[in-house]
Amino acid sequence: MEAANTQIFLGNRNLVNSSEVYRSEEKAEARAEARPKILVVDDERLLADTTAAILRHAGFETRIAYDGFAALEVAGSFRPDYILADIMMPAMNGVELAIAISKMYPATKIMLFSGQAGISEILEQSKARGFEFPLLAKPVHSAKLIEGFRKLKDG
Amino acid sequence: MTSNQISAQLFGKTNALTEQSKNFLAAIVATSDDAIISKDLNGIINSWNEGARRIFGYEADEIIGQSILRLIPVELHHEEDFILGKIRAGERVEHFETTRMRKNGERFPISVTISPIRDDNGVVIGASKIARDISDRRRADESRFRLAAIVDSADDAIISKNLDGIITSWNNGARRLFGYEEEEIIGQSILRLIPEHLRQEEDEILRKLRTGQKIEHYETTRVSKSGAIREVAVTISPICNSKGEVTGASKIARDISDRKKVERMAIEAEKIATTGRMAAAIAHEINNPLASVLNLIFLARQDDVSKQDIRNYLATAESELERVSHIARQTLGYYRDTGSPSEVQLRDLMQNVLSVYHSKLLAHGIVVDAEYNDLRKIRGHSGEIVQIFSNVISNAIDAMAQGGKLSIAIAQSAKTERDGLKIVVNDTGHGISREHLGKVFEPFFTTKGNLGTGIGLWVTRQLVERHGGHISISSSTEPGNSGTIVMIDLPFDNSGDANSANTGQLGSSAEIR
Repeated sequence: MEAANTQIFLGNRNLVNSSEVYRSEEKAEARAEARPKILVVDDERLLADTTAAILRHAGFETRIAYDGFAALEVAGSFRPDYILADIMMPAMNGVELAIAISKMYPATKIMLFSGQAGISEILEQSKARGFEFPLLAKPVHSAKLIEGFRKLKDG
Repeated sequence: MTSNQISAQLFGKTNALTEQSKNFLAAIVATSDDAIISKDLNGIINSWNEGARRIFGYEADEIIGQSILRLIPVELHHEEDFILGKIRAGERVEHFETTRMRKNGERFPISVTISPIRDDNGVVIGASKIARDISDRRRADESRFRLAAIVDSADDAIISKNLDGIITSWNNGARRLFGYEEEEIIGQSILRLIPEHLRQEEDEILRKLRTGQKIEHYETTRVSKSGAIREVAVTISPICNSKGEVTGASKIARDISDRKKVERMAIEAEKIATTGRMAAAIAHEINNPLASVLNLIFLARQDDVSKQDIRNYLATAESELERVSHIARQTLGYYRDTGSPSEVQLRDLMQNVLSVYHSKLLAHGIVVDAEYNDLRKIRGHSGEIVQIFSNVISNAIDAMAQGGKLSIAIAQSAKTERDGLKIVVNDTGHGISREHLGKVFEPFFTTKGNLGTGIGLWVTRQLVERHGGHISISSSTEPGNSGTIVMIDLPFDNSGDANSANTGQLGSSAEIR
């Protein structure tokens, strides 16, 4: 179970050193006192890391989890306003995670994203259980992702 | 007939009716199965043999001296006037089929021949009457007519032939299916209905028939008078004579062109569905790295990043794009099915299928153990073999929603009749229940509700058979030891005749383990 801290790993390479991250967070902090909190969940580490970095640039406070169980753990302490979760993940898929989060923290807004066209059956199953979540298709351009979350935040 | 005429007919000369020969005639009359009765011109019975007693039930002493009308139903009494009229005129009544009455009142069909009896001067003095009970023959006729009517009204073609393959009967259904009229085809060889390239089937069929074997629901093609190809299911049974010797065969052929058309459409639909499933899996493998690349480009474009960071972002983006291109090469390339078979390496095809389902396997927590012991190539259609593997692997994944172990082995086939490779796919999933196992190869059978098309394994079987191979499944639902084993045998080369008349059984089987 790995919940990443503020350090960003790109594969095995440390591309962004921690001091830079702190620097950008400070900048963001200056823009808004209460930064919205977002938890990024994806078993594809590079994607989770870069997505979190982009959202951080855009002024969100971020945490990363690489699987569903880790996400539940992080959510308990971090109490995110938003969760961005991949659907196809080992052990616990994104929809199962989303349903668990909705029950535990109903205020948390959830956005799913997936690169697979054939996940409609998983969504059907969740719909049958009374849960519906907005879905973004991978690959999504970072600008659109930010816009999507700003909309979620404002609306 | 006068006694001289009788004598001339029986013995070649007149005046031959000695005491001895009269006794001889009397013995014939007494022992005849037919009723032999004589009467005078008033219709009074004056002789009555044993056959008459058996057929009509009257003893000789109770009927002699009585009127012949006692044997004739009241409503047919007029027949006697007509008969006596003919006899008086010296004429015979031959094989007259009518109804008579036994002593117990039972009416029965009879065939009678009545001849005038003359005295030595040639004067008609009475009549002899030979009557045969034809109840049995009537019954046989009736059932024969009934059968003939059924055969003629059947939709199926019903044909009989002798052991030389010469057609001996031809019903309406055969006329409709093959276009030949009865008159033009009877006496012709059955080979006229068999396409050139399937002629060897007939030898095999005749060989089986001679040994008394039946051929059931054998699917093949035949050709009509106009040259049109007919897809048929035939059942051929030997016809035996009363001694049990095979003298010919009856053949029932059913037109299955429509059914075959629907089957072909279903196979095409399933191919598209399989392609769709694989495409979805491939999309996942490709879209993830693409999403990362988009993110990296976005990050590299930010104002406050160092040159070193930009270089790192771009290097990572590059390796992600290489990953995409590798997946595309590995998976999408195999969908180019050229239509003609080529040398294919099963290990490569299996590895490609596994790479397509890589994420799904990971997501379900499935461990894969693949062992390739025989790397010889086989001749086949790579696209179709990928589909076979894909269907089997995707079923195994569905069966192991809670994780498990997927073992794959490719080795030399133990089957002796044809050299080839054996592919064994073994999962530790929930297994297939006994009542479902018998149906897994049936079209449109599924336990997956709306998520299954129900034709995956059916199509898999068709594709395996098209390669001259064989697929079998054994399964166990025993808790702690459940799982399914799929075994596929594929011959190295399938260019020989895959369809001879001995393909009575299907190339598939399913059993409880």
